[in-house]
Amino acid sequence: MLHLLKIEWLKIKSYKAFIIILSFFCVGILASNYMVYSVFSNLSTNQDTQVVVQEFNPFKFSGVWQTVSYISGYLLILPAILLIVLVTNEFTYKTSRQNIIDGLSRAQFIGVKILLAFLLALLSVLLVIATGLFFGFRSGTSFEWTKFSNVGYFFLKALSYNLIAVLMAVMIRRTGFAIGVYFIYMGAENIIAQLLDVWSLKLKKVNNIDLGSMGDYLPMSASDGLLAFPNNPFKEIAKSVMPTEYFGVTLILVFFYIILASGLSFRSVVKRDL
Amino acid sequence: MDILKVNDLSKNYGYIKALKNVSFSVPQNTVYGILGPNGSGKTTLLGIITDVLKPSGGSFQLFEEAPDASHRKKIGALLETPNFYHYLSAVKNLKITAAIKGRGADDIDRVLDVVDLTKRKDHAFSTYSLGMKQRLAIAAALLGDPDVLIFDEPTNGLDPVGIAEIRELIIKLANGGKTIIMASHLLDEVEKVCTHVAILKQGTLITHGHVNEILVNDDIVVVSSSDNENLKNILISYPGNSMVLLSDNTVKVHLPNGTANLEEINRFCFERGVVLSQLQLRKTSLEAKFMELTN
Repeated sequence: MLHLLKIEWLKIKSYKAFIIILSFFCVGILASNYMVYSVFSNLSTNQDTQVVVQEFNPFKFSGVWQTVSYISGYLLILPAILLIVLVTNEFTYKTSRQNIIDGLSRAQFIGVKILLAFLLALLSVLLVIATGLFFGFRSGTSFEWTKFSNVGYFFLKALSYNLIAVLMAVMIRRTGFAIGVYFIYMGAENIIAQLLDVWSLKLKKVNNIDLGSMGDYLPMSASDGLLAFPNNPFKEIAKSVMPTEYFGVTLILVFFYIILASGLSFRSVVKRDL
Repeated sequence: MDILKVNDLSKNYGYIKALKNVSFSVPQNTVYGILGPNGSGKTTLLGIITDVLKPSGGSFQLFEEAPDASHRKKIGALLETPNFYHYLSAVKNLKITAAIKGRGADDIDRVLDVVDLTKRKDHAFSTYSLGMKQRLAIAAALLGDPDVLIFDEPTNGLDPVGIAEIRELIIKLANGGKTIIMASHLLDEVEKVCTHVAILKQGTLITHGHVNEILVNDDIVVVSSSDNENLKNILISYPGNSMVLLSDNTVKVHLPNGTANLEEINRFCFERGVVLSQLQLRKTSLEAKFMELTN
C-alpha cells in the first residue's frame, strides 16, 4: 500500500493545481475561522455585547472543537474538487490506461484513489485540530477534550464529500463536467433536503408521525447534519416543534454512504472499459 | 512456450461487434504482426490483452497462465496513443512507469538514449511534438528490458527517419530474442519486421501463420493472343500454375514466387498452336495481396 502511495505522490507532487488548491484549503481554514473569531473578539470588546459574548464565546475550549469543525466544513468542497481533478485527469490523459498496461491492477488503481480521499480527510482533520488548539488557547482557556467528538464528525463529513467526489470522477470521467455535476448535485440535494424537512415537520404536526428530519438522511446532508454551530438559540427554541433528531440513524447512514460511494467507485473502475 | 494464447475472444460495443471469436497463439521469440485496416479490431484486441478493455466473450492466457497484473509488469506495451502525465518531464514520467513495473528505475537514461530523447528529458511532456511523444512511449515500453513487447502502430506520428529507426530497433530487439506483438495497418511494416502475422478484417480473424506463407508474392505472367478465351483454356493445363484469370483482354497466369519462366510459357503456347501477342512478367504488390485478403 505504501508503494502505491509513493507512485501517487510521484504523480501529484509537481502538479500545480494540487499545490494551489491544497494551499487555498489550508489558508482558507485558518482564515475563515479567524474571520468568525475576530467578529466575536470585536463583540467581546464592545460594552453592550461584552457580557453575552463572554458567556457564549464559541472559541473557548471545549466549544472551539464544534465551532472550528462546523466553520471548516464549508471549505471541504476544495479537497473534493482537487480529488475530482486528480481522478478525471487520469481518464482525460488516458494515464489510467497506461497505469493498468504497465502492471497496476484495476483494484490497486481505484484503491489508492480511495486511500487518497481518506488521507485528504485526515489532513483536513489535522488542520482543524491545529486551528482548534490555536483559537482555543488564544481565547485564554485551557485544553479540554469535551466536544472533541465533533472533530470525528468533521472527519466523516470530509470523507463523505471526498468519496462522493471520487465516485462522480470515475463515473463521469471528464473534469469540467464532473465538477459541474458535483455542484449541481449539492444544490439539488439541498433543495430536496429542505423539502423533505418541511414534509417531516408536516408529518409530525398533522399526522403525529415523527420520522426525524428526513432531509438529513440524504448522502451529503447526512454528514452535514452531524455538525451544527454551537449554542444556536433558534435550534433550542424550535426543538419542541421540530421532528426529533435521530442522531444515531444519521451517523449510521453516513457510514452507509461512505461504504456505498467507495463500493460503487470500485465497481465502476473494475468492471468498465478504461 | 506460447507468450499469448487467445481463445474465442469477442468484444461488442452495443450492437457493433468489434471482435468476433478470435483465436490464435503467439509463440515465444517471434515478431507477431496483427495486420488489418483501420477499424478492424487490432487495438481492441490489444486493449483486452492489456486489461484496459473487458472482453464480451472468450478468454486469453499470458505466459500460459490466467492473466493478471504481474504478467503485465513483465511486458512493455504501447497502446494506441502515448499516455503520460502532461505536466511531468520524460524522466519523471518514466520514474512512475518504473515504480509501477517494480523495475527499470536505473534504466531510464538508456531508454531515453535509444529513442533519442536525452536532450529533452527534463522538459514537460506537454511541450513534445507528436513524434517525440511516440518515442517516449516506446522508451517506456523498453524500460527494464522486458522480454515481451506490445506495440500498437509504433511508427505513428514519426517522420521517415524516425520510422526507419524504430523498424531497425524492432528488428534488433527481435534478433536479441524478444517476443514482439505488433499491430499495424502498414503492410510493408509487417512484411519488413514480422515473422508471423494475423490478419483481421471487421473483427474477424481472416488468416494467421508464418509471414512467408500468408504474404506470399505470386509471379504473374500476363499474356494475350487473338483468341484469349482459347488461350486461357490452354494455360489452365500449364504445370505449376495456381490460378489463370481472363481479364481486360489479357490472360493472367499466377505462379509461385520465382517460378515463372517466360520462354517456357511461350513455347508451351506455340506448341499448342497459339502465337502470343503479349508476354510480360509482373509481381503482385503486397498491397494487392492485402486487398485480396481483406476484400
